[in-house]
Amino acid sequence: MQAQFSKAEGGVVPAGSLVHDDATAKWFLVSSVTYFFIVGIIAVIIAAKFVWPDLMGTMSWLTYGRLRPLHVNGMLFGWLLAADMGLAYYIIPRLCGVKLWSEKLGVATAALWNVIILGAVVTLLAGQNQGWEYAELPWYLDILVVVAWIMFGLNILMTVASRKHQAMYVTIWYTMGCVLWTAFVYLTGNFATLFTTGTNQANLNWMYVHNAVGLIFTPIGLGVAYYFIPRASNTPLYSHKLSMVGFWSLAFVYVWTGAHHMIHGPISQWLQTIAIAFSLMLLIPVWAVVYNLFATMKGQWHQLRESVPLKFLMSGIVFYLLTCFQGPMHSLRTVNAIVSKTDWIPGHAHMAVLGCFSFLAIAGTYFTVPKLWGKPLFSESLANWSYWMLMIGGLGFFTTLWLGGFWQGWQWNNWSIPFIDTVIALKPIWIVRFVSGILMFVGIVMFAYNILATVMGANEEAAA
Amino acid sequence: MFKKADNNALWAIGISLVLFFIGGILTTVVPPLVDTSWGKPFENHDPAKGITGKVVPLNDLQKKGRAIYVREGCWYCHTQQIRTLLADTKRYGWRGVDAPISTPDEFVYDDPHMFGTKRTGPDLARIGGKYDTQWHKTHFKNPRDLVKGSIMPPFPWIANDPAELSALIAYMQNLGRGKDWRPANDYEK
Repeated sequence: MQAQFSKAEGGVVPAGSLVHDDATAKWFLVSSVTYFFIVGIIAVIIAAKFVWPDLMGTMSWLTYGRLRPLHVNGMLFGWLLAADMGLAYYIIPRLCGVKLWSEKLGVATAALWNVIILGAVVTLLAGQNQGWEYAELPWYLDILVVVAWIMFGLNILMTVASRKHQAMYVTIWYTMGCVLWTAFVYLTGNFATLFTTGTNQANLNWMYVHNAVGLIFTPIGLGVAYYFIPRASNTPLYSHKLSMVGFWSLAFVYVWTGAHHMIHGPISQWLQTIAIAFSLMLLIPVWAVVYNLFATMKGQWHQLRESVPLKFLMSGIVFYLLTCFQGPMHSLRTVNAIVSKTDWIPGHAHMAVLGCFSFLAIAGTYFTVPKLWGKPLFSESLANWSYWMLMIGGLGFFTTLWLGGFWQGWQWNNWSIPFIDTVIALKPIWIVRFVSGILMFVGIVMFAYNILATVMGANEEAAA
Repeated sequence: MFKKADNNALWAIGISLVLFFIGGILTTVVPPLVDTSWGKPFENHDPAKGITGKVVPLNDLQKKGRAIYVREGCWYCHTQQIRTLLADTKRYGWRGVDAPISTPDEFVYDDPHMFGTKRTGPDLARIGGKYDTQWHKTHFKNPRDLVKGSIMPPFPWIANDPAELSALIAYMQNLGRGKDWRPANDYEK
């Protein structure tokens, strides 16, 4: 097979090898890492507002209700999706054995993506909120998102179409799946909702919210994991067949489950039951993926000691297993009656988006940035510290919110306890959440600093 | 079928979309066609058939108030749904009367819907008429003046703007009133 390099790795490239330009991947990764840090500040402020509710309370644009959508949209689209797209621009040409279809189009996509994120900051702080979770952005930004997604999708699909290797590795399916499903899921959540009201609209909204995680972040995140786990450990994937089971069952099962966000709520009981049944079936794609990746690491676990990307990757997969075990369990009517609407849910959501998918994207970023810029990572030990900060902060955050949420749910189910007492009871939980949030933020700062210092060549300056 | 998708990208795309659209259409397009209560506003004038009342569109002032509710993200911390659980009907009842369960036909005019997902504060589906206007005015200025231990943010820019404040309160006092659930109309004004 032809050797492949990134342009910046100059000097060592043997004749006849494929040299990637990678400008698009670089732009996406640098901007996403920057947003991760900036939006992290907002995350900490929000956590602080639970403990000190009057904090920054006199300015309309810094109130909780305006910072929260900025936190969610900033993390989902500014950091995570952009980082995953950057990694896809790196991975797909390499798996196809060709250059990216159009580097110019890619860089234009990165520029447009930044326009969207900056537009989101301004409009959300100004209170321009459409009123749908995950779809808060005003319609003109939604249209730009669709345009950017078509530019991204076209580039990826044309690269796949021009591939040299006939057989497609599982990461290519997942990325193509993400491109296609995202298109329809996003249109449902941001445009189809415009023509509906009430329960009908809520059903479309939750089809989008659930599948934003299930059919956008899951396929592209798993594509990243399927590429980097074998790469970072120098071990072939355990089973191609199992990866097929995981992918095709995901494609069929996930989309049915949106209504499980309204269990016991004002929506048809039969639709709730369908959503519950399919939520349980989700255990199939999850187990297929997790078993495959664990079996790949068999006999190789010692490599985690030396490799920060592998630490993030395998912890991300463990969190994936836990999140996706929680999900089907919450959808059961009896469990739902306790945990639904409580603080358990943000604990669950953060484990999915931060613990699993952000860990996978961080691993990919640590792995690719030194290659993309042709420089060694600024600091291995700082990278190791960023892992432990995010891990300890994350665990503190998830577990206290689960405990707190469960406790809150039990109290709500005893209606002789006044609501305000259930708020006061959770104060200690929110203090621990704030402290854990700071640890996570420190981890994010270490990660972002390490990456940006590598990019800007702090290493070379030190050596000179 | 799936083996062919290993080597054929168009085939892979085709199957991915077909599998996706089976569930996609059956769970989004079909349900409102099957369950017509999603689109027909609640109306009942016969006490023998259960709770009476009629859901009507909001007036201009209430609409303005609703827009403020959406703008400030109230719905991130307050749900608007009495679920089919005693924990909801009992807790959100008032003066010894259980709150009626929320049904899809009560929300036909809601756009954007405000069902919510998180109860950092209490549910507001039946808040209309539980507290008087003066209570709401004081509460928006600083919730902790009335409810010790509350973590709701203060909203001085609304409390100090009479037009916005009266609109928001008009919206809230109307919440859940499509079903006339109070005996002898004992709502607060």
